[in-house]
Amino acid sequence: MYANPISYVFSCLFVLIAHSAMLCNIWFNGKYDEPRDIAILGAAVIILDIAYFVVILAFKQISYALDFLLILVLGMSIIFQSCFGKVGFDVKHYITCIVCLAACKGGYMLCRDHKLLQDKKLYIYGAIGVMVLITLVFTSAENMWIEIGSFTLQPSEFIKPLFVLACATSIADQQKKHKVLIFNVVYENIALFGIMAVICLVQVKSHDYGSLPTFLSIYTVGFLLRICYPKAKFSKKKLFAVIAVLVVFVLIGLKYAPDYVQHRLHVDIWSDKTGDGYQQSQALIGIANGGWFGVGPGKGFLCHVFAFDNDIVFATISEEWGLLFALMMVLTIIIMAAVPLINPTRSYFHGTMSACVCAAFIVQMALNIFGSCNLIPFTGVTIPFISTGGSSLMVSGLMIGMLMAGQSPVFKAHEQKKQEDPEPAWRWKE
Amino acid sequence: MESLDLIFCAVAAAALDICIFVLIITAYREKRSTKKNWRQISSDMELAEQDKSYELGCDEVLIGRHASADIRLPDLSVSRYHAMLTVANGVWTIKDIGSKSGIFINGELTREAVLHENDIIKLGNRRLLFRKRRDSRVR
Amino acid sequence: MKSIKRTQRLISLIIMLFILGMAVLVFKLVHESSFYMMNSDKHELGFVYDRSGDVLFDGTGEGSYPDNYFLDVGNIIGDDSGQMNNTLVANNVEKLNNYSFSNGLIKDGGKAAIYTTLDHASNRAVYNAFGYQDGCVCAYNYKTGEMLVCASVPSLDVTKGYDNIGSFLPGTLLSKPMLGTVPGSTQKVSTVITALEIMGSSNLYAKSYNCSGKYINRTGDSIDCHNIYGHGTQNIQEAFENSCNPFFAQLIEDDDMPLDRVMKQYEKMGYVLNGGESVFYEIDGIQCETASTTLEDKYQFKTQWGCIGQGDTLVSPMQLMMWESAIANETGRMTMPYFIDHVTDVKGHIKDKAKTRYSDKLFSESTASAAKQILLTNGADKYSYSIVGYNVGVKSGTAQVDEGAHENSLLVGFVDDPSFPIAFCILIENKDSGYLTTEQIAQVLLDNLKNNN
Repeated sequence: MYANPISYVFSCLFVLIAHSAMLCNIWFNGKYDEPRDIAILGAAVIILDIAYFVVILAFKQISYALDFLLILVLGMSIIFQSCFGKVGFDVKHYITCIVCLAACKGGYMLCRDHKLLQDKKLYIYGAIGVMVLITLVFTSAENMWIEIGSFTLQPSEFIKPLFVLACATSIADQQKKHKVLIFNVVYENIALFGIMAVICLVQVKSHDYGSLPTFLSIYTVGFLLRICYPKAKFSKKKLFAVIAVLVVFVLIGLKYAPDYVQHRLHVDIWSDKTGDGYQQSQALIGIANGGWFGVGPGKGFLCHVFAFDNDIVFATISEEWGLLFALMMVLTIIIMAAVPLINPTRSYFHGTMSACVCAAFIVQMALNIFGSCNLIPFTGVTIPFISTGGSSLMVSGLMIGMLMAGQSPVFKAHEQKKQEDPEPAWRWKE
Repeated sequence: MESLDLIFCAVAAAALDICIFVLIITAYREKRSTKKNWRQISSDMELAEQDKSYELGCDEVLIGRHASADIRLPDLSVSRYHAMLTVANGVWTIKDIGSKSGIFINGELTREAVLHENDIIKLGNRRLLFRKRRDSRVR
Repeated sequence: MKSIKRTQRLISLIIMLFILGMAVLVFKLVHESSFYMMNSDKHELGFVYDRSGDVLFDGTGEGSYPDNYFLDVGNIIGDDSGQMNNTLVANNVEKLNNYSFSNGLIKDGGKAAIYTTLDHASNRAVYNAFGYQDGCVCAYNYKTGEMLVCASVPSLDVTKGYDNIGSFLPGTLLSKPMLGTVPGSTQKVSTVITALEIMGSSNLYAKSYNCSGKYINRTGDSIDCHNIYGHGTQNIQEAFENSCNPFFAQLIEDDDMPLDRVMKQYEKMGYVLNGGESVFYEIDGIQCETASTTLEDKYQFKTQWGCIGQGDTLVSPMQLMMWESAIANETGRMTMPYFIDHVTDVKGHIKDKAKTRYSDKLFSESTASAAKQILLTNGADKYSYSIVGYNVGVKSGTAQVDEGAHENSLLVGFVDDPSFPIAFCILIENKDSGYLTTEQIAQVLLDNLKNNN
């Protein structure tokens, strides 16, 4: 099973080296009270790395590249988060990162056998329903979180992986068409569209406009792949019609959007530096202040700005570590999403899942980074793995687990199919 | 001081760079091992015509005349979407997905059948041999 | 297989789009970073120098200078305090900041600076020549466009801060050359150009009108002449030298001067007619008003009064000076003025070197030569004793402001000397409050410019 021992040893080593180099950078450039702080942080990160390397040995996967990328990113994330403002080990983020790793493995175990999932499709729909209900009942426009003890959960986040699953599981049933009146209808398409519409409505109701594009992108990717699936018989004309209708809807939506949305869309951050444009303008100033190589871990001023560790985290990292490093970080996440390009999945189910996960990650990153840098309206979404937030990290972990499942799938027959035809009695010989 | 700052930032970035590079290489190395693994899972089978062979590269292989089919048989006797090959537990199964002319396995008309090595699959006028994969380089 | 390839294609498309977006973002960040820095509270400003290396603005605030050292350039060079926003520093503060994306903010030894074309010594001399009277002067090299003098009285020394801003005299924080003012008879230069452009030189010289000290126009309003006994019958040259209002009123009424062509020519020269939206020149970020007047009916008093340079007409001294360049160069194209010769970045590399630019063609070369001749003749006939040592083409003007309560004195002109190509505009406000004349200022200006270069 461990096909490339040398590569894996090297991967482990270089992950450790990358983290150590970052720690060295803190040691020389950072702002800290005493070296002990760095020692604790370093020990925690390295121990987590090594522990994870040991743990993944227990999972008999075909591919481990994503595991190494994940631990690399999470280690970076812990180091980043511990250095904002001043070097000090961020225990909470450390724990959420461990949760993320666990969620990743959970997602992997769950999704590796797609036939099983496809049979349990109704449960997925049920789970989405429950999550939507929870979102509706327990959260409001003012507060998107549910507080349980000292932990807060954002239920709308959990809909994302479920929705990805729903998109992926509906693929296989594409051929089952039903005739309703004169239309050939695929129930799955309607169900999925319904789910999407319900989720969007719930998001609009809870004023969570940041997640909307993420869901829309997942749906678009799922939809595109579904209609590309052989026998879907979706003519180009229909496709363009659907796109046109969508564009019209978006335009109408923007035109008649509520005032506070309109306001968000047209805010000029530099003329409103202390008001609505505060976060963005400070973020841009922070990036400018950091330059290519940053001012040094812990030496930035952005840590005094609201949401420095999630909404504008890209700018905070750029300021302290330099734009170059922030770009590297983004590159690492892109490569995670791009692993299915190097190593193609072996089933359309996993392919769709990878594409949906990739869309979700990239759109979220784009919204966060471009939003905080004033290219597009600012929305409060998180960068996967880097931003703080338990729900976000856990969900990102789950989604990476799905990617991993696509890399190391199992193709098991299902119970019902086992009992079918015995060896034919007569075989035609050539 | 200024230059030291710069050097360590650059070193950290470079280390990260190299690490990413190594991981990409790892992914590429895995490409080979996953291929091997896939062959194990799929019993290393392929479909062959007289002078052509078709790889079975994923768990659902669609055979048909349509351009989007995985194995395209440009023959009017073959339906646009004719048959689907699926694999589970290393066993390949063929399934009719609404073809006009049906599937004949070793001369027998079926809707769904488990495939064995050296089975002859007849789709319309085309005959395909289900056999162990042969390395093209060996041949 | 094909379906799997499709998913891969989609993934690569998404990633490509994102990378494209990131590239745009990085490009934008690197290019706009100095702007972002200016919006923070962290500045490390450099110096503004004049043409001989004299400091005009010290961004570090650490140098020590004589009292009122920056007084004469206070409201044109300005500072970064935000009190004045139409100044050189306020509009070019990014260039002055010791910051670049790759080098970061440099605390000490940054070499970011703006090298202006101004001549501090001449500027100060001119400023001081005003004494207790108010006004402004602008002068530039009409061949290259280098602004040499731009003084506005009263002014302020920016190093002294704004604590007693309440006691500042009105207009202290404004650079008057950039603002529209009533041009008085200097407007007749524009009217002459228009007439020349429409009729041609020989046709215009053939026209002569009688002035009896007062002219009742066709609608029954009276246009007064400053000479109540009248100038008698004059041609254009004599009327220009006499600055005779009745002559110009009759010229406007002449059938050879169709109003639509007059309006067209005025608009070409930069006038905003009949209350249209104001137009500004941007000179190194500094907003400079152009000109505006009312031209509605050529037999109406208002229109005639506008062409004589009173009433609604407003022209900025800079604009008056720029027209002189179009005449003096005999090209009909204005030389566009500039303040910033070059800028140095953090490391002292020269960038943004200024180039001479010209406006669109405002009038023909022959018109320019004819107008130049009229101005030069006027200068030779009337100013050879008051502005000594220079072959100048000038036009003076007296503008009634505050509904006739005060009179401003103006003088526009140019020196006809290829080695000393100076165009200037001088304004003395409320001229009756003192004994200062525009000719005295012109003498000081030209002498200083001549001697300092």
